[in-house]
Amino acid sequence: MWFWLLGAFALGYAIARVTFGYPRPARRFDSLLRSEVAFLAGAGEATFPAGGDIPASGLDADLPAYTDRLLTAAHPRMRLLMHLLFFLVEHATIVFPAPGRRGWRRFSALDAEQRAAVLEGWRTSRLFPRRLVFASLRAILTMGYFAFPPVLRQLGLAPYEIPTPVCEADLWTPRIGASRSSVRRSRADLTPPSDGTPIPLEAPLHPAYRKGAR
Amino acid sequence: MSAAADVDLRVFADYDRDVREEADVVVVGSGPCGAVVAKELTDAGLRVLLLEEGPPFTPADFELDGPLSMARTLREGGLRTTLGTVMPTMQAICLGGGSLVNSAICVRAPEFVLDRWCADFDLAQTRRADLDPHYDAVGEFLGISPTPENVLGPRNLLFKKGCDALGISSEPISRNVRGCRGSGECFTGCRSRAKQSMDISYLPAALHGGAKVLSSVRVEEVLVEGRRAVGVVGRVVAPFTGRPGFAVQVRARRVVLAAGCMATPVLLQKSGDLANGSGQVGANLQFHPGVAMLGVFPDPVHPQFGATQGYQSLHYLREGFKLETLWAPPAVLAVRMPGSGFALKQRLARVPRSAVWDAIASCNRSLGSVRARSRGLDPKLTWSLHEDDVPILAKALHTLARIFFAAGAQTVLPGVHGIPEELCSLAEAEVLRTRKFRASEFLTGGNHAFCSTRMHGDASRGVVDEFGRCHDLEGLYIADTGIFPQCPSVNPMWTGMALAHRLAGRIAAGG
Repeated sequence: MWFWLLGAFALGYAIARVTFGYPRPARRFDSLLRSEVAFLAGAGEATFPAGGDIPASGLDADLPAYTDRLLTAAHPRMRLLMHLLFFLVEHATIVFPAPGRRGWRRFSALDAEQRAAVLEGWRTSRLFPRRLVFASLRAILTMGYFAFPPVLRQLGLAPYEIPTPVCEADLWTPRIGASRSSVRRSRADLTPPSDGTPIPLEAPLHPAYRKGAR
Repeated sequence: MSAAADVDLRVFADYDRDVREEADVVVVGSGPCGAVVAKELTDAGLRVLLLEEGPPFTPADFELDGPLSMARTLREGGLRTTLGTVMPTMQAICLGGGSLVNSAICVRAPEFVLDRWCADFDLAQTRRADLDPHYDAVGEFLGISPTPENVLGPRNLLFKKGCDALGISSEPISRNVRGCRGSGECFTGCRSRAKQSMDISYLPAALHGGAKVLSSVRVEEVLVEGRRAVGVVGRVVAPFTGRPGFAVQVRARRVVLAAGCMATPVLLQKSGDLANGSGQVGANLQFHPGVAMLGVFPDPVHPQFGATQGYQSLHYLREGFKLETLWAPPAVLAVRMPGSGFALKQRLARVPRSAVWDAIASCNRSLGSVRARSRGLDPKLTWSLHEDDVPILAKALHTLARIFFAAGAQTVLPGVHGIPEELCSLAEAEVLRTRKFRASEFLTGGNHAFCSTRMHGDASRGVVDEFGRCHDLEGLYIADTGIFPQCPSVNPMWTGMALAHRLAGRIAAGG
């Protein structure tokens, strides 16, 4: 009897923990669940807090939005693995709780210091699989952070605007998804190939990375 | 007549019914090896049909963000890893294959490596002198030449400075590039159209010669009648999603598989364990496991400028590793930075003063396998870094640290678990030389893959002969790096293309 009661309680707690209490995101995501948006926002803030050597924070960089794009583009098996990764770190606080009060709460419900401590625990673990989980999560977050144009601009790493010569293959290759009949170029559109002039460091940035682009 | 009508290239949106074709030769895969075969056989007057699963990319399709670019141009979204020793590895899915997203490095396999291949694998005509005419032909067509000094940039020149100070030989990397502007964007697609990737070099030449190129076609099976390959069947697949559509059947007198070291064995296994009398299909998988080190200098390095990989050292080839400079999309490099929170941000802020150099290792004891999964054509890759190969990686990293400090670096980040995240002096870097490491402590990447359909003079011990002809079946050839009997110790593209060039000559001559 006690066994069943305990089991029912555990099941109820698990369902509540996984399902309820996540805020509704401000916008629609193609691949991320509501719980994952909350998790990524929390993990992003812990990994890239506001201030420091690069002012932009993980929150500024909108890491859930980037991760959603990445997930949508990912191979189905990898997409599943990424969902599992987020779930694992979100709920592994039951096994590896954060220091301080109620450290067993789900990751996204912890306060900022506790989240940072949890991630540090994964990063410095003696267990290789835990370090691997951390490395995978941080890789996703870092990729999103570095997709944020202000970060790249501050570091001087934003892509340049580069004029692209029209070569012969461009006369018959349509953009992906279009048919060949959509290609309107003729030989008259060919331009001289690159002459090998080095790109100057002060060259204008690609429009998508200029100030105000995002 | 428009320019587009001059050539027979088909893209996904052009298919409106099942496809049935006939050709003298069907080539599966449009990467460097398949493209060479297609062009050379077209020049020889044969009717060639080339099939490629990925779409052609125009510069407008290039994605500047590294990870998103990888998700679009690489199989499994660029997140493919091995089992055993977990190591990321990549295979392109686009017209032109890996040449669209590699750094164009061209190095001839060293004489001592080819001599060893011949001695250990019963090969008679695969010495350097045998392959040099084929290297020359490919090199001339692609304009392979050393990276010009004006686009090396500080990141590459600091490597030279460090090597010079230590008496380590080094040289500008030869690449299949014409008119490089030093954008450092090789991995996401060259917007300058300077890199002579197959989609703008060999494939246009093949198309002009009369070859048909069908993109977005996934080959699922090799057709066999008796003891002879007679064609392939597959499906038109949508770009990125792989959603299957119209059926494709191509009948041909000869079938050349150039789908890559990780795909060709799967295709053979899915075709009823074809050409596997030796039991070697999918076996012997080797990589060049790579390790990278980031060094921070006191002054700006402007690492985003310069040839992606412009300088190398072949000094330690006989000891099992090759050293190179490296640049990748910032997001991909930043992933290597240790730490979290403010400490991580502090390190990321130093990227403009940083250079990344890497080593690729010859680990002939570290073997794995390629196996077909029960569903789909993605391979199951198993590979383990052999304990005896681990010291090669440690020595390579120690050597990189020496070069960094000789070039003036303040600190290096070795990316190895169990030792300090930053090493601030040569004395601190000694730990790389003195400590005994485990394989799992290294952050490795395996970008060159080989040997999964290896050549061997003895039909019971290899899948193909040294010319790429399958031992078990008439009319079936393999032209990708899977036929290498061992890792080549240097970047494999040029050697793969030279072997493909030789194979094409044999086929054209009726062999």
